[in-house]
Amino acid sequence: MPEPALVVEDYSFWYKVGEGERVLALDDVSFEVAKGELLLVLGTSGAGKSTLALNLVGIYPDFFGGWNQGRILVNHPRRGVVNRRQLDQGERFRTVNMLFQNPEDQIVTLTVEEEIGFALENYLVPVAEIGARIDRALDLVGLDGFRERSTLKLSGGEKQRVALAAMLALEPSVLILDEPTSNLDPVGTAEVLEAVDRIRERLDITLILVEHEVDEVFNKVDRVLLVDGLKVLGPYAPRTFLEERGLAVRDHMGLWIPQAAEVALGLRQAGLDLGPLPLTGDELVTALRAGSGTNGARASAGPAPQAATQPLRTPGETVIELRDVEFSYPSRSAVLHGLNLDIRRGELLAVVGQNGSGKSTLAAQLNGILKPTRGEVLVHGKPTTSYRFTDLARRVAYIFQMPEKQFIRNSVHDEMAHGLSALKLPSDQIAARVDDFLQRVRLAERRDASPYLLSHGQKRRLSVACMVIAEPEVVILDEPTFGQDWQQAQRLMDLLRRLADDGAAVVFITHDMRLVAQYADRCAALCDGQVIYDGTPAGLFGRPEVLARTKLKAPPVYHFSRELLGEPVLRTSDLQYRIQEHARG
Amino acid sequence: MDNLELSYRHADSAFHRMSPFAKMLYITAVSLAAIFNSSLYVGAFLFLFTLVCAAFFSGVSLRTYWTFGKVIMPFILILALIFPFFYKEHLTVGSTSIAIHTPIKDLSWSALGFGALLALRFLAIGVSGLTFAFTTHPTDLVQNFSKRGLDYRFVHAPVLGLVLFPSFLELARDISTTQRIRDLGQDRNWLARKLLRLKHLAFALLVLGLRRGQTQAMALDIRGYGAHKTRTFMRPMPNSRAGIVFGWACFAAGLLYLVLQLGNLSGKMPWDLG
Repeated sequence: MPEPALVVEDYSFWYKVGEGERVLALDDVSFEVAKGELLLVLGTSGAGKSTLALNLVGIYPDFFGGWNQGRILVNHPRRGVVNRRQLDQGERFRTVNMLFQNPEDQIVTLTVEEEIGFALENYLVPVAEIGARIDRALDLVGLDGFRERSTLKLSGGEKQRVALAAMLALEPSVLILDEPTSNLDPVGTAEVLEAVDRIRERLDITLILVEHEVDEVFNKVDRVLLVDGLKVLGPYAPRTFLEERGLAVRDHMGLWIPQAAEVALGLRQAGLDLGPLPLTGDELVTALRAGSGTNGARASAGPAPQAATQPLRTPGETVIELRDVEFSYPSRSAVLHGLNLDIRRGELLAVVGQNGSGKSTLAAQLNGILKPTRGEVLVHGKPTTSYRFTDLARRVAYIFQMPEKQFIRNSVHDEMAHGLSALKLPSDQIAARVDDFLQRVRLAERRDASPYLLSHGQKRRLSVACMVIAEPEVVILDEPTFGQDWQQAQRLMDLLRRLADDGAAVVFITHDMRLVAQYADRCAALCDGQVIYDGTPAGLFGRPEVLARTKLKAPPVYHFSRELLGEPVLRTSDLQYRIQEHARG
Repeated sequence: MDNLELSYRHADSAFHRMSPFAKMLYITAVSLAAIFNSSLYVGAFLFLFTLVCAAFFSGVSLRTYWTFGKVIMPFILILALIFPFFYKEHLTVGSTSIAIHTPIKDLSWSALGFGALLALRFLAIGVSGLTFAFTTHPTDLVQNFSKRGLDYRFVHAPVLGLVLFPSFLELARDISTTQRIRDLGQDRNWLARKLLRLKHLAFALLVLGLRRGQTQAMALDIRGYGAHKTRTFMRPMPNSRAGIVFGWACFAAGLLYLVLQLGNLSGKMPWDLG
């Protein structure tokens, strides 16, 4: 049995919700993490992954209250395995520590050097030692030469790596990374995951990673822990986890699983056993080429596949035209440079590109939040400058990434009714439509709740519902699936699909290429304020020079399907269908 | 906002080599003298003195000062142009003969001087304040006052404010945009709508700010903030002897001028508009 880094024994935790009232959040949880291990924690949005992480660090119940029962033992560098309670606060945080989801929440000083040295200074580390620790930590996260940089001027990925370096400088035995890539674009995500690889290579540290980006990490982790409601299941070996629970967690819990495993599990269900479950595209290709178990495949009853090279949907009427649009913020260089784009009815248009490429500025041009400094944005042929702002806002709905920014009323019901009242509809019509939407977005039971007290998924659904209830012609969403699991993301995208099918133009900004592959009819890739690609998602993934300039990555299924079939497909279900067809002969 | 980032400028100047405490003495002296001054000549001297300090001893270009100066210039012009109408013979210079005829009131030379004095007062305080901000590393400020017995968490709060301010501004801007998009208060008159939007903005900022604050507090705790009564500081704090002498000399001069002014005031403070 390997030496443990962390042992959780019969641990339960209750949130404090009022005077003397409590709600159970973790029920009789027991598991052990071995020293040097990389443990992946999976669970639906709101399942309690962060609650578990905050309990492991000791933020709950020590700082934010609540009740706990059971024991958490940690492997202290000098004292061995001890109950966390026996360590003082400083020792506890230097043994188990945590990196938060949003680097903005963690950065508290003005330069990189100060940021990394901050905790060391607080823990009275001798000044002579601090400099060397900062250099070591920066080297580990691949930020040599960033010591003097301002923290205010770093990209998202750089900020997250600085926050990671600040944790590493403390030299904890166990470091918990709570969805460290969820705020980042693909290039930022890759940077952070490369840093994790480097840390594992060079340090004897135990990492607990809470992450949705399973395709990138599943083949790297040692074991997988599943947070399911109040319970924690596992840890499992990754392959065993997917063999035993892969389809169940995808279909019933709505979690992402690696696309290669998803295809293999689907094939297994259809009678095609590929032997040991592949975790990566390469493993899947090898297993299929070995031809193991392809006999006896049943005919597929699934939907006919969509070819990746499928042409664009027949475009609907153009609602918005951007013509040679230039825009710059005061005292800054131009953000948009001669940008041209059409927004059409009936289409789901994905706007993609790395952070800072001008996506949000582009979106803000569409409903007149920002006005072009040169060129024109035409809505139904009329420039946005000739519309009253509120009239334009009713036609072109804008939905922020952070749903809370959008709430202006005191209850879920009033939030939804607000847009309809503005249209001066009769009260009985307003009531009927609000009731209908409350059902559609599954918020009927929370109709009188304050919008601020909903869960993240509920807030997102409400923010979308209160903007689309008034039936705008164009809906713009900034990162609509941010922080949501696969099931929630799918439900939201299905809702947007229906809106587009009903004739609205839907524009969504995203970093999630799986989502683009599955849902987008058209893609506009931005680089340095210009549209450098406008076409199908498959066309985008087939243009390596565009991907390189925009720092985007095609989803894994695109690559391994091309290797297998000679032509790419964008969805795992389509690949599975093609393989089954092939197996049937 | 990039140009308005009120932060430390790295350089090697006399002011950079001074301790934050010495610079505080300088600012206090300038402020005391400027606030209690009732002479246009002294006002002009104070402004020129702070300008010379900024131009030749702060290591920061006057262009950078102007970036901020132009933001507060409308405010200073308002002081200079409006306050002469409220002049009640506060100045020790300027004749009582009429300089300008206006439809509201005829203004004397001393009334105009009064406006100029107010403008010079804020210019002197503003320039010395900017010199302090541009030449004082926030960590030095924390360190200096921590070593003088103040709790470092208390002194670190303004530094946190500097880091958080841009994101707080962005949040306020987004909430205001939401109010416009969703036309909050569309059924009310202009004033009622503005008040409603202000109330909502305050509430949303409070809720979202508190939530952010809670996470920040957690982030600070897990990094040992407040774990010990003191902390080490990796950055060597500037503390030139010449700077200390300059700071105390300014402070003594400011104090002396204050005493002289209080003795000379005839029951009316220069900022008393009567």
